[in-house]
Amino acid sequence: MRSSRNLFIASILAGFFLLAYSCSPGACFDETTAFMKASLYSDSTGNLTAPDSLSSWGAGMDTSKIYTAQKSLKQALFPLDASSESCSFVIQINDVYDTLTAWYSTYPHLISKECGYTFYHNIDSLNATNHKIVRISVTKNSITTLSEENIRIYY
Amino acid sequence: MKKTYAYIISLLVLISTGDIIAQKPAAVEPHEGNIMAPKPAAAEPPDTVVIPLAIRAGIDIAGPVIYLTDKNNLTSEGYLSVDLNEKRSLFFGGGYSNYKYSQYNYNYHTNGVFFRAGVDFNLLKPLTSMGKYWAGVGLHYGISVFTYEIPELSSENYWGTTTTSVSSQSHWGHFAELTPGFRAELLGNLSLGWTVSLRKMIYSGGSKDTRPIYIPGYGLSAKAFSAGINYFLVWNFRYKKINVVIKKEPPEEPDEDVTPQTNSGSGNNQKMEP
Repeated sequence: MRSSRNLFIASILAGFFLLAYSCSPGACFDETTAFMKASLYSDSTGNLTAPDSLSSWGAGMDTSKIYTAQKSLKQALFPLDASSESCSFVIQINDVYDTLTAWYSTYPHLISKECGYTFYHNIDSLNATNHKIVRISVTKNSITTLSEENIRIYY
Repeated sequence: MKKTYAYIISLLVLISTGDIIAQKPAAVEPHEGNIMAPKPAAAEPPDTVVIPLAIRAGIDIAGPVIYLTDKNNLTSEGYLSVDLNEKRSLFFGGGYSNYKYSQYNYNYHTNGVFFRAGVDFNLLKPLTSMGKYWAGVGLHYGISVFTYEIPELSSENYWGTTTTSVSSQSHWGHFAELTPGFRAELLGNLSLGWTVSLRKMIYSGGSKDTRPIYIPGYGLSAKAFSAGINYFLVWNFRYKKINVVIKKEPPEEPDEDVTPQTNSGSGNNQKMEP
């Protein structure tokens, strides 16, 4: 009987240990921003090709660049404005300026308890000027934190 | 991962505890002057043992203790179990949970009730448990009825900070749970014990984008498995006694294959007497 009681006390203590151990907080290691991911293609060859130089910023946000004379960039990441139904980007490819405009819907998405929420988007339509850009196409209209191509820019 | 470790450690404690207790009655006590002497008849375990069956009412004391350290997490729960025999009990549990969570970019609030039902199995031998000790495992099915809301969530990117909210939504959650544990009678009709709960989500409710973070009775819903621990204070109301037949292990038979040739030199068919 004494042995059983000692084992019981030991098991109660083990239970307290488990209780304390199971209450440890976690941390966020996931991507938390959903970018519109645009792959850059050469219109002449049809291949994924990085331009000599690419700069980009949001329309009306000239002082805050997304890319500044970026070289060897084959996929550009454009953050959409979650508080609006559309936004525009100025894209400078090899010193020629174009404007890309996206129309989309926005909804909140839970990443995890630790990382919280972000905003996902669904692309409704796209438009671009054609100074350097020849054409654009949508390959996946759901914009998430996953590493998936959303649009293709042919220049 | 930490909860998995906790579960494994608990299982090891449970298994070792049950094993040691179960072996105790079979231990051979040495007698003075002849360590191999046969045990007297009075020391042998009885052929039958009387086990009291009980209806048990338990309340969890871990939830209120956690609430003292974390005012955002209140869970109150209890259970009722009815012994069917010395091994099996029907289990009915329920509770209430109110959970709040805040961090830099969102606030979350959920509350609701949950119910569990299933069967508990006592793995101890009747001679060890005597209706007082329980070391075993429960198989339960759980249902949670809850509402949750996100009063404020925000996200910041290149364009600035966007803030919105998700209004209150009601959902049902379904889960199954495995609950190894330990319980012992302290005094009179009062018992104390703990169980580790390893739960498997079956259905969590909500859309995939704004799914509930926390489900009352289940815990954090992000993972397919959830682990938790309960400390129960239990009142036992005995309603019946049953006689349980103790299965005696057959005594070891002497090795009949021993031949005179193996006992070289003696020429006699000797048996190893205890």
